[in-house]
Amino acid sequence: MAVTTVLTPSTAEELAGMLREATASGRRVDVVGGGTRSRAGRPGPPGDVEIRTGGLRRIVAHEPQDLTLTVEAGLPVTEAVALTAGAGQDWPQAEVRDGSTIGGVLATGASGRRRLRSGAVRDSVLQIVIATGDGRLVTAGGRTVKGVSGFDIPRLAVGSRGTLGVITQVTLKLWPLPEARGWFGAGGGLEERLALARAAVTGAGRPTAVILTPGRIDVELAGPPDDVVPPPGMEPSGDPPAPVGTGVVEVGVPPPRLGDLSVLLEDEGFAYEARFGVGTCLVAVDDAAGVARVRSWAVGLGGHAGVLDGPDGLREDPWGPPPPGLALMRRLRDAFDPAGILNGRLVPWA
Amino acid sequence: MSTLRDPFERLLDPARVIDHALERRLYSRDGSIAQGDCGLVVLPETTAEVAACVRLAGELGLAVVPRGSGTGLCGGAVPLEGAIVLSVARMGAILEIDPEVPCARVQPGVLNLDLTTAVRHLGLHYAPDPSSQQACSIGGNVATNAGGPHCLASGVTAQHVLGMEIVLADGEVLRLGGTAPDPPGYDLRGFVVGGEGTLGVVTEVTVRLTRDPAQVRTMLLDFPTVRAAGEAVGGIIGGGVIPAAMEMMDQRMTIAVEAFVHADLPVDAAAMLLVEVDGTPAEVAAHVAVVEEVGARTGARRVRVARDEAERALFWKARKSAFGAVARVAPNYYLHDCVVPRTRLIEVLERIEAIAAEFDLVIMNVFHAGDGNLHPLIAFDRRDAEQVERVHAAGTAIIEACVAVGGVLSGEHGIGLEKRDFMPLTFSAVDLDAQARARDAFDPEGRMNPAKVLPLGSRCGELVLDAGSLPPGTWL
Repeated sequence: MAVTTVLTPSTAEELAGMLREATASGRRVDVVGGGTRSRAGRPGPPGDVEIRTGGLRRIVAHEPQDLTLTVEAGLPVTEAVALTAGAGQDWPQAEVRDGSTIGGVLATGASGRRRLRSGAVRDSVLQIVIATGDGRLVTAGGRTVKGVSGFDIPRLAVGSRGTLGVITQVTLKLWPLPEARGWFGAGGGLEERLALARAAVTGAGRPTAVILTPGRIDVELAGPPDDVVPPPGMEPSGDPPAPVGTGVVEVGVPPPRLGDLSVLLEDEGFAYEARFGVGTCLVAVDDAAGVARVRSWAVGLGGHAGVLDGPDGLREDPWGPPPPGLALMRRLRDAFDPAGILNGRLVPWA
Repeated sequence: MSTLRDPFERLLDPARVIDHALERRLYSRDGSIAQGDCGLVVLPETTAEVAACVRLAGELGLAVVPRGSGTGLCGGAVPLEGAIVLSVARMGAILEIDPEVPCARVQPGVLNLDLTTAVRHLGLHYAPDPSSQQACSIGGNVATNAGGPHCLASGVTAQHVLGMEIVLADGEVLRLGGTAPDPPGYDLRGFVVGGEGTLGVVTEVTVRLTRDPAQVRTMLLDFPTVRAAGEAVGGIIGGGVIPAAMEMMDQRMTIAVEAFVHADLPVDAAAMLLVEVDGTPAEVAAHVAVVEEVGARTGARRVRVARDEAERALFWKARKSAFGAVARVAPNYYLHDCVVPRTRLIEVLERIEAIAAEFDLVIMNVFHAGDGNLHPLIAFDRRDAEQVERVHAAGTAIIEACVAVGGVLSGEHGIGLEKRDFMPLTFSAVDLDAQARARDAFDPEGRMNPAKVLPLGSRCGELVLDAGSLPPGTWL
């Protein structure tokens, strides 16, 4: 079996050149950021070439007064967060994980726990530069905090898992760091915790996160110190634990149905993290049967479930049935990666 | 005379197929200056009727221009060369309100403010609130990715559209997105928002509703200079406060508005800021304190806090009546919509002032200061051809000044016809080609609202037919 060639470009132009080359020679390319979300997609042989984006890590512009940050996509997300925190600012939409790159967070559309108040990570992207499969460097959006100049390629790129192009640079919209922030939680029976979760989501306290895990509910509050105090029935707590298993499935259901899903999961002994008010839930699974079960519940509740992370055996059917618009998705893929060289295992329903 | 209406009458009630010359002329325009050429107007009432009309238009080789309320300011709903205007005005039902998500499923012809009115009793509202919210439709809002004062903290339309039903150029009906977040695959729903009717006809929209904040405080600050007002904007944001809304009005605009609404506005101030903060009582108190401190530091003569809901409503009436109030100054106005980095606001406002002097025009400013979204408004009389020339030249100078400091062409109105040929100022040929390819993936034959958004010839290798195809009256 041929050995995968590893390439580490240090500029966007260099990366684009590699893609032009790969398109011309028909070589399949895998793109890797920090590699923290790489156990995804269909199982299959690796590409002929692996491009690592870690060399693209310049901070292009940090404009604290404008609350914008322009960086190359291979920059570790923790470095970006430290930089912005130093200016009293935050990127609250992102799921920040050790070792992840900014480009990886965006390519996987990894929204964090604070989505309840701050929105999805795709809403924080102002401008994006991608190298298309055939090596064109395309800039889309604008660096101002608001703008509707032309077609919204940034929204297509976020969550597309590098199958339309490789994100090389982004401009992010930042927010002021809250004065205070803190987690509060409680144990108790499921019914009791569900009632607390619903009250927290609809209450005036506007929590940044309401997280249900087996046996626990935890709520994060942020704002002036007077607001960051335990809600009735809760005690100061910490970041709730993420579910750990052989693999993790990410479920999306209409937010009011998340309680029903939690009941099923808790009854059957699954470890999970349900994000109330948002409608997403991470579930630890140990085998393909577990994936299928969680998916059938999700679909029954009007949602979907995809394998976020797991070994090959869990990913024979990583996404379940395709949503409407598959033909459109294929035409978009052809428009951005005409030779179909990029991240073949991650192309939705290829 | 061959009649275009006949085949459409087989699809729709004849009363909803319009070919009277006068009405076609009305539908040849929108809120912009551009005058187009409408071949026929159809008013479908169901998705199936929309799909049938789009399919038939395709068979006849005709372009289709989707139209909401026609309040758009960039010529996006202006038909060219006898295109068919497909108005969604008869699709005005709120289909479902789900207070638990919370969200609403609506037809595209529902008016923006009517939706908020319908959910107010539930303690909910629809956050995007363009100045035209009494007249503009949700479908049009989706097409332009509309904004409004409260998008500063809440985000523009794209952040509030959960799902949609769309009729593609070939008549296929698709449901994209929904209340379950992040369906696998590409974010087609997100891409369609802001597509200006070139990607299909949106026939149903599921929008996120927002819970009303526990408390709201609305303040008017008046300043002796525009520079001081600009410094206050930077000071408030720099002080860690993103207000719910932060609007600026210059003296000319304040005088025009005061004569219209009688809100006891500070007509002797060079500029005033309308700042609204909301949240928990502690949050609101903290944010009001920052606004007052920054106001004192930057030379605000007074910080007037709305005493009650009635006074708050009056402040907002003043802001949202601004464009109507211009009628007292001149019969016509040309409104721009550039965005500049917040830190460059003051210099760009000074440059606009200089442009007004240079071209001997009255330019008034009322805009979303918090996000750097300028709305310089050039008042004029279109009967004066020589003045119209100067308005044209001044508009170009304003756009160039904004782009020169890193700005973008539009914050919330869209590109349409009017900004189309300015796109190369901010995008390379490769960038525009990528946008054209993405659009073509939705509509390979270019039947939906053709010639909008992208300059002709954007697609590399595309045959440039006729650069002179713009309708008379389009200002480019």
